[in-house]
Amino acid sequence: MFKNYIKTAWRNLLKGKVFNGLNILGLAVAIASSALLLLTVHFQFSYDKFHKNIDNIYQLYFSTNREGVVEKTGSMPVPVTPAIKAEYPEIKNISRLEGGVTTVAYGDKELEESINFVDQDFFKIFTIPVAAGSKTPLVSQNELVITKYVAKALFNNADPVGKMVRMKFGEGYKSFIVSSVIEDFPENSSINADGFIRFENTPGYQQNLKVWDNRNHSVFLSLTDNADPAVFESKLGKFVKAHFKEDLNNLKRDGAKPVANGDLMSLNLASFKDNHFNTEVGGVEGYAVNKTSIIGLLVIAIFILIIACINFINLAVARSFTRAREVGVRKTLGAGKWDLLSQFWTETIMVCLIALAIGIALASVILPYFNANFKSTIKLGMLFHPAQLLTLIGLFLLITVIAGFYPALLMMRYKTVQVLKGSVSTAKPGKVRNILLVVQFSIATLLTICTLITRQQINYVRNKPLGFNKSEVLSIPIDHGLNGAQALQLFRNQVAGEKQIVGVTGAYRNLGLGNDGSTFTSITGFNYKGHEIRSHIYSVSYDYLKTLDIKLLDGREFSKDFASDSNAVLVNQKMASLLQVNKPVGTMVPYDDKHPKKVIGVFADYNFRSLHDKIEPLTLVMDKEFPINYVFVRVRPNSLSASYDFIKEKWHQTFPNADFNASWLEQNTEKQYRNEQRLANIFNSASIIAIFISCIGLLAMSVMVILQRTKEIGIRKVLGASVSRIVLLVSSEFITLVIVAAIIAMPIAWWLMDQWLQNFAYRVSIQWWVFALATLLAVIIAALTISVQAIRAAIANPVKSIKSE
Amino acid sequence: MLTLKNISKYYQVGGSKNFVLNNIDLDVEEGEFVSIMGPSGSGKSTLLNIIGMLDQPSEGYHYFMGEGVHLLKEKQRTALYKQYIGFVFQAYHLIDELTVYENIETPLIYQNIKGGERKALVADILDRFNIVGKKDLFPSQLSGGQQQLVGIARALISKPRLILADEPTGNLNSKQGEEIMELFRKLNQEDNVTIIQVTHNEKNAEYGSRIINLLDGKIESIKNI
Repeated sequence: MFKNYIKTAWRNLLKGKVFNGLNILGLAVAIASSALLLLTVHFQFSYDKFHKNIDNIYQLYFSTNREGVVEKTGSMPVPVTPAIKAEYPEIKNISRLEGGVTTVAYGDKELEESINFVDQDFFKIFTIPVAAGSKTPLVSQNELVITKYVAKALFNNADPVGKMVRMKFGEGYKSFIVSSVIEDFPENSSINADGFIRFENTPGYQQNLKVWDNRNHSVFLSLTDNADPAVFESKLGKFVKAHFKEDLNNLKRDGAKPVANGDLMSLNLASFKDNHFNTEVGGVEGYAVNKTSIIGLLVIAIFILIIACINFINLAVARSFTRAREVGVRKTLGAGKWDLLSQFWTETIMVCLIALAIGIALASVILPYFNANFKSTIKLGMLFHPAQLLTLIGLFLLITVIAGFYPALLMMRYKTVQVLKGSVSTAKPGKVRNILLVVQFSIATLLTICTLITRQQINYVRNKPLGFNKSEVLSIPIDHGLNGAQALQLFRNQVAGEKQIVGVTGAYRNLGLGNDGSTFTSITGFNYKGHEIRSHIYSVSYDYLKTLDIKLLDGREFSKDFASDSNAVLVNQKMASLLQVNKPVGTMVPYDDKHPKKVIGVFADYNFRSLHDKIEPLTLVMDKEFPINYVFVRVRPNSLSASYDFIKEKWHQTFPNADFNASWLEQNTEKQYRNEQRLANIFNSASIIAIFISCIGLLAMSVMVILQRTKEIGIRKVLGASVSRIVLLVSSEFITLVIVAAIIAMPIAWWLMDQWLQNFAYRVSIQWWVFALATLLAVIIAALTISVQAIRAAIANPVKSIKSE
Repeated sequence: MLTLKNISKYYQVGGSKNFVLNNIDLDVEEGEFVSIMGPSGSGKSTLLNIIGMLDQPSEGYHYFMGEGVHLLKEKQRTALYKQYIGFVFQAYHLIDELTVYENIETPLIYQNIKGGERKALVADILDRFNIVGKKDLFPSQLSGGQQQLVGIARALISKPRLILADEPTGNLNSKQGEEIMELFRKLNQEDNVTIIQVTHNEKNAEYGSRIINLLDGKIESIKNI
């Protein structure tokens, strides 16, 4: 029986080659795109799940509410960990974690590695399998734990355990013994380091031992088996009151709002299993991802699948019209309901299987581009893990059931006698079909509107003047091995007097996101005239404003000629206004208690952070405390690429062993919006796919309708209707549906995009013509799709169509 | 074998009933060859469809092989005609996607007959109808007469006791038609298969043992030959 079904199915497939080809193509595209999206979603949700105790791992964070928004930060002062461990027996294991990048040397090999400072408990809290050496690492302070990857890079194939390496701290080197080699961290790990050493090795550890207001690392802990995290968290209020009196006083004075139980500041637990999506707490490990955007991907994947399913159903229904006779005949030959249902199901499964095969092949072809474009690290092999495979099979069967049973049921409703006589009454336009079409085009229009608005916003942030010159300034990250200030001076001398160079300067932080991928944020707070001022602060070198083309409004900028400038500051307009004086230049500002600093210049506000945030108060200093991490070089606007090569050459001459990782500021600022860019790309591809698949469905639908109305069209022609009138007659029904779909999509799209735009402090307003354009686009594409069939029907010889009845 | 009592089929049009069949009484004995004749719209096809259980009467009693068909559920009716009835259509109604062999085999599949047995049965009938050479052809590759031959072979494959033929020669030329009618006669006489056919053609009607004339949904006359 089964063989018979497959045979019929196969021959049916071959019979309607174009039709089925389109159907399979649409489904394959949907499968390919949703497979990639679903894998991405799955990958994102799999983060950190490999830790065995994942449910019992927490990160400590502080909550405060100064300006109406609860601020959460995971940065902790050094003494918190020993104190909290001593006071709370619920804590089973606790470890501090501070990141760092250090030069590791063995023999004449020098490698730059990210080395984390942790406590011994770290390896008890997290599941980090030891491949070789001690299973309980970091017993002593000179032990080093490295990953397999680093071990290979440093020692080749020699046994690393017991080897002595040197690591650079500040100016000097310290020796460490490799005690364990751990497995490399998987891709889906938030914690990612090349090696670990004891926390006691952090620079300034001894000085910070009793300092409660210098927060610089994160703290992870796990609780004893019978401890309740909520209860434990509620007990921490006492701890805050005992150790953070000064912070609480300041908060009270500044009129901060309470965060919990009437406390102005609270210490809380963030569950590590949500770490990857924890965008609220500042200073979580790894690169936190917005959960909404991941769920957005899931929704888009489901949308595409829905559209493809609808297509499938509509196409099958369209085809069933031509197959009604077969159903009738089979019924007279004794076929029961289930015989027919299983026959059509078999066909659906076959079509879906072919589409699945093509879809997966397609996915594997797109995968490299997908990964590159969306910064994903998924592999198709992930599809074949049991859990995913099961989901896949489940989803597959579900789709075939929905898409296969409905048309089959519809066909079986036909009266056998009528079918055999050749008069099938399927002419009434099905409500279901119309609803399905509307759903399809709603989704397609929704995605189109989203594409248009995200593009608009991205263009806007790209082209908005930021208050500094981003096209002619090159930013060069300074290698960690170099002393920033010295390096800057060396390079300055090297290029002094060169014609194409306008200015050279340096700073603590980059503008935008450079090729080194690092961002530095530093905020200072101090009491001024009875209230607290908080200002972003970073150090710059001479000529910063000139090199970056930032407008100086009053006073002067840092200069070599004034030795006292190391004690002076430049402020932006925002900061100047907070000082509440008529002429800020010359004002002494108490940035720290002992040494007030003098304002020597006020510059125009520029967007030193991304356009997600408003411009905040900013202070520029020339303080030795802040290292110089970046060199900025402004060149003449002509021949930028030649200048780039020239600077590269000069850089290598100055620092023969250092990398040249330079990028234009324009590239840097664009990188800040790569998430948005990625989202826009996803919307873009999804809307194209959605429209494409929907149109395939529409095409099939128009074929069916025209088939049903052939006689009517013939009669109308005989009565004198023109071709255009007939095309209009056939198309208008569908066009109405497309417009209805667009109208449904509009408010949803508006709401969604409004939410999304809230992420930006600087944003476009949503304009009505975007909706009109999207609708028009949908209507035009739909009209083109239908009219091919409609025109064919309209120009056909009416004698034929009338006779056929 | 078959008894119809007070069978009526009507459509409600406005307030009045539009009768297609009006109070038909009919008995058919096993081994009979009945021809139903009548002008267009006299209800012959409807009568045949009711006998074949493809259509249901609006009123009346219908007994087949001793069972009250009007009392049965859909599933039981299907089981009944699957076992006893074979259809032959004017338009042949072969399944285009299946070969001659597969078309003939299909009813057996629906009766859950095992593959080996199916093979033997189909081979047998192909042989009997002299169409072995055509078994791998598709319907579109056959002439009308050949298609109808396949249609009859398909109707016979499940060894029905009753064959219902709706203008079986309507689409054929007279020579082909004659061959088909000869085949029916042979089946009727040699295999004792009961046949009820609807026809327009006087000559073909005379192959039967009884001719029933319908007019406006009523039996106008019955002629025994």
